[in-house]
Formats: sequence, structure tokens, C-alpha cells
Amino acid sequence: MTTNTYIAGKGWLYRFDPRAKLLLMILMCIWFFLPVSLLHLGIVVTLVVLVGSSNTGWHHAWRTFCSISPMLLFMVLFMPFNVREGVPLITIGRFILITNEGLEQALRLMSRFIGITYVCTLLFATTVMHEVMLALRWYHLPYKASLVVTLAFTYIPFIADSFSQITESHRLREAEDEQKKKVGHRLKDLVPTLTSALVVALRSIPNLAMSLEMRGFGREEKRTSFHRLDAYHHVFIHFVLSCIIPIVFWLVSMLF
Amino acid sequence: MNNALSIENLSFTYQSWTEKQNEPLFSGLFLHIPTGSKTLLLAPFNKGKTTLAKIICGVCPKYFPGELQGAIQVYGKFLSDLDPWDLLPVCTYVSQNPQEQFVATSVEEEIAFPLESMGMDKKTMDDRIEEAIVAWGLQDLRTSSEQELSGGERKRVLLATMQAIDATFWLLDEAFDDLDQHWRDQLKHLIATKDKTVLVLASRYLGEFDDLFDQVLLLDEGVVASGEGSSLIPRFAHLCGDDLPSPLETDFVQPSQTRVLSCQSLQAERRRVSTAESEHFTLEVPHFQLQSGELVTLVGPNGSGKSSFSRLLCGLDVPLSGQITVDENSYSGKQLSKRVGYLFQSPDLQIFLPTVAEELSWSLKRRSDLSRAEIDKRVIACAELFSLDLEDTPTTMSYPLRKALQAAVYYLLDRPFYILDELDSALTYQSALSIIAHLRRNGAGILLITHDRQFADKVAQRSYTIKEGRLIAV
Repeated sequence: MTTNTYIAGKGWLYRFDPRAKLLLMILMCIWFFLPVSLLHLGIVVTLVVLVGSSNTGWHHAWRTFCSISPMLLFMVLFMPFNVREGVPLITIGRFILITNEGLEQALRLMSRFIGITYVCTLLFATTVMHEVMLALRWYHLPYKASLVVTLAFTYIPFIADSFSQITESHRLREAEDEQKKKVGHRLKDLVPTLTSALVVALRSIPNLAMSLEMRGFGREEKRTSFHRLDAYHHVFIHFVLSCIIPIVFWLVSMLF
Repeated sequence: MNNALSIENLSFTYQSWTEKQNEPLFSGLFLHIPTGSKTLLLAPFNKGKTTLAKIICGVCPKYFPGELQGAIQVYGKFLSDLDPWDLLPVCTYVSQNPQEQFVATSVEEEIAFPLESMGMDKKTMDDRIEEAIVAWGLQDLRTSSEQELSGGERKRVLLATMQAIDATFWLLDEAFDDLDQHWRDQLKHLIATKDKTVLVLASRYLGEFDDLFDQVLLLDEGVVASGEGSSLIPRFAHLCGDDLPSPLETDFVQPSQTRVLSCQSLQAERRRVSTAESEHFTLEVPHFQLQSGELVTLVGPNGSGKSSFSRLLCGLDVPLSGQITVDENSYSGKQLSKRVGYLFQSPDLQIFLPTVAEELSWSLKRRSDLSRAEIDKRVIACAELFSLDLEDTPTTMSYPLRKALQAAVYYLLDRPFYILDELDSALTYQSALSIIAHLRRNGAGILLITHDRQFADKVAQRSYTIKEGRLIAV
């Protein structure tokens, strides 16, 4: 249950102080909910994706997109139907299928979702987990709470990891004369794979609890830290940048 | 002499999740481990070795519910008065399954975690971590994450952690499994030279154990038997079925058609994404061949690329260059997966349905040429052959039975070739051999990956090894 999300690299985000990066992540997540135009939202999301790709590589950026694509598909399919106000864009007889308002809201929701996903992914892809934990503790989050946060962020990739291993196992068990399956069959096959991934994930919980306690989690004496955040320089500048970047984005969206 | 561990009249029964009550795993068990002694506790698989280790560490029945009775003392303190974290400076447990013990996201962090818990100062931590990393050859893997390590590398991380904690009592559960010869020797040396109390739990008597221990015990029928090694080891071998004739000598059917799996000029590369400094792992296979009915072994150091080669052979990964052929036809991806069966080291990633019957029929139902009656007939015959109960739930079955189920699934697929990744790990020789015999029944060619040279010598007709990233015939 300790799947790592870090991708080694040498881009500027890797040299950015984790404490400042954490602040930037929170401010950017807030920024995505500010009342800005769809165009500005789209531009900022594109910038975030470009920055991410240049730091962690296009492959990682694409994988992140693939992992959220089912959710995006649901948004595209269902959001426009929920919003009935605005100018009708597509109608079938008297029934309004999609309005401009519905389309805009769907695009806005998707942009926010992509933006927040990439901002969070970037933090964990460019910062080793113990530095994320040190950053959280620097903000006076108790050790146990910091550990819970970092474990939560390793648990999701762990389930994804188990899922892909079980999918491989299914592939190895296909019958020799098996033909390409229809969508219905493929969806049906997903059920045992997902169930199995969840069983693996659930079974890992007592093991993790056991291992944490055997490694001293719960002891009364004050924990020390092997790692330090001393290696990062120009921390003040990084904090200033973390504040300035979202402000500049907001000002630009207000002025233009 | 003072005892490091003292167990009096221990009984333990796992909680049952069905109406049927579980049999007691231990009943009136006594065990005394003198301080400073080196003890080998032999037990056939599925006889409670790991459970006993977890009870000693105070995590069972806490996390693995059951009914526990009896008194356990660790260095004179009753275990019932202690929490698992209180034992950290006293007792270190190395699990049979290294994956279940990882708590951190990098090798260095994994070793540092318990030292931080003990409130150790930075200088001492630096020294201990560096010493352990160098001793276990983990210099290039400091920032690697657990999922990027091979089974042997994971085991080395746990042993490095044990060395860094420097507790007075080491509890090692099948610690020699997964390690190649070099690291087995290293572990032997550590046990022999360090002034520690050591309890090694093992399910096979390996050649490495000669003269290493001053006490050999046998766990059988829920109690511990002591005596001379010369009398206990034959008794243990009998319990494991080692004195039975090898299943490989019977049941072999000469294939009607000789099929050939081969590789030419294969090259592959793997990158550890969490480590910028380390070089990319590369594998070169100038020539490899496996024929129907052959039993070939692949032996190599930890992390040398044995599993990577297996993934290439069964089409899960794509090589950089070169080709893999079956009967001189080049195949890749799914086409290869349908010809080469790959039994992962861990069966849990290959069995996923609620009952044995569903598990066995899953692949057969997808075949267009089989009637319902024919599927049932094959499933029943297969369950009988592998001694499986069709109504059993795989997730609650014992490890050897899960391993047998995994093999039974592939037996029904009737692939012309099989790769068995560390099949002998956590199985008796007899169980492993009977699985091989079943899979060879229809004349399949088998590539067996193992670290156990004794086992490899026993079964191999030919052998390959991987040296410095190159696969060569031995």
C-alpha cells in the first residue's frame, strides 16, 4: 500500500520548495472556482498542463488525462442535459437536447476538474512523499494527520496499480480462440477485476496497520526526522511566487 | 540461562467467518528461546509459522482476529502488557511476504522510519542507514519505490531495516526465500557473527542451514518438538513429503507434436521512474529456446531481470528489438499471451472470483467450442487432480491451495508453454513438483524461475542464467 507517485526529474518544479508548492497548489485550486471567463479558465488549465508536461514528461501528462477520462466522459454526456436554461443549440422536435448555458457549464466543470487534477498530481509527481509530509508538518499539522494525508495519496495509486496487474492477469487467461469482445462483455469483465482490486486493497489495510505499529508508530517519545527541507534555497522567493502566480492569473482575467 | 522468548501453553484458533468452526492452529504450545541462541524452527507450510511470528510481535490477534490463550514473555515482560511499538528496540520481524511490511515510499525512507520512531538523533541515523544500505547493496536504489523493486530487493530492504534497528532479537520468517546465493551467504554471515538472539522460521531445510543454528525445533500438530537435528530433519522431510517419489517421474505424456518457443536478439529496457540517478535496467537475450516437454530453469541474482524476461516471453511487455517466435511464427502481445502461460509469483493477483468453481470455469466459458456439460466435466476433473474443493472461497484458502488453484486455472487453459515464477517459494518441494507434473501432463514446455539451486538441480534438464544483463545458457 505504498505506491509511489514521484517521478524523478530535473525541471524547475523539482527545485521549488515543497512548502511553497503546497501553498501554490491550494491557491490554484481556489483560483479555479473564481468567477472568471471560460476562455481564461481554459488558458490557465492549458498552462498548468504544459508546465506539468515540461516537468514530468508528456507520457505522465497523458496517463493522468487517461485516468480521469471516464469522469470527463460522464460530464460531457450528462451535464448538458441537467441545465435547461439558455439558448437551445440542439433540439429533437420540441425537446431541447443541449443549450449554450448547459454546454458552457459542462466545459467549465471539466476545465476545473482537469485543472485541479493536474495541480494536485504535479505536487505529488515532483515532490517525494517524505517532503510532502515535512511540508505539512511545517504548517503545524500533527504527525498522525500528515501521515494519514500522505497515505491517502498513496492508496489511490495502489488500487490503480493492483487494477492494472489484475487486468494483465485476465489477459493471460484469455482462451486461445477468443475474439475481440463487444463493449457489453468488456464492461461485464470489469466487475470481477474491480472487485478483485478492492479485495486486494482492503486486505492490505490490516497489514499496513500491523507494519506501522511494528515500525514504532504509536510510541510516546518525540519522533525525529531523517530528512530535512534545508536543501531548498530562496524559500521566501518561492513563497512570494506562490502567491503572485494566482494573483497575476486573476488580474489578467479581470483586465482582458 | 535467561530466555529472550518464553511461550507457555499457547493455544490459538482463527476466527471463523462461516458457520464452520476453525480447527485450533496451536494447542498447548511451549517454546523457549534462550538469550543469544540461534534457533531454527522448521514447520511444514500452512502449520502456523507466520501466525506464531505475528503473535510474538503482538499484532495477532489484534489485526488478525482469533482466540488466543497462554502466556508469552519477551525478555521477561508479558506480551499482554506491551503494545507492538514497545517491541521495536527489542524484536524485529522480517516477513515472508516483504510487500506487506513496507510503510514508506522509498528504500531510504523505509529504513529511516523505525529509527525516527525511536527518536534517534540525525548523526546516528545517518550512520546506521548508510551502513545498512551498503551492507545490502542498495546504494542505487535509495530513492526507488517498493513497486519498482524485485522480490529479492524487497527482502534485502527489510533485512537492511532490521540491521539498522539493531534490535536484540531477530525473528526471520522464510528470510532465505527470494534471496540469491550471494545475499543468502550475507544473511548467514550476519546471523553467525552478530551477537543477537535469532529465531528463523523455515518450511524447507536448505543446505545453507548446516551448522548455522545451535537449536533445531519442529512445529507439528500445533506443538513444538525439540530433539537432535539428525532425528528432527528426517521427520520434517517426511511431513513435507520429501521422501515420496518425485511426481516428475510419473504422469509425463510425450507430446504428439513438438512445439518450439524461441527468442532471437531480444533487447529490453526498464526505467525506475522514481530514481533519476540510477542507470536504466537493460536485458539482452541473444538466444533462448524452449521445446515441448522440456523443463528448463532460469536462475539469476536478485533484480537481474528474470521477471522482466518472463513478461517479454508472455507478451505483457514489448521488447526494444528482436523477436519471439512459436514454431517459427513471430508473435507479440495478446497472441503470445495465448500461447505462453505465466504464473506470477503471487497467486493473489491471478485469482479473483468468489468460488473455486467459478475461477476454474472462467476461461472455459469464453471458449466457443465447449458445451456447458463439457465445461463442468473438465472443471470437476481438474479440481480433483489439484485436490481443490469447488465450493471453497479462494481468498480464505491457505497459500499452498491458492497456489494450486492458480496452477489449475492454467492447466485448464492448456497452453503449450508455461513460465513458473518462483513456484517453489512458500511451497514444499513435493507440492511444487506435483504442480509441475500436472502442467507437463499434456507435454507443455516449462520455464521455471527459482533461487533455490538445490531445487533447480533436482528438476532441470537445461538451465539459463542472467549475468550482467545478458541471458546465457549454463
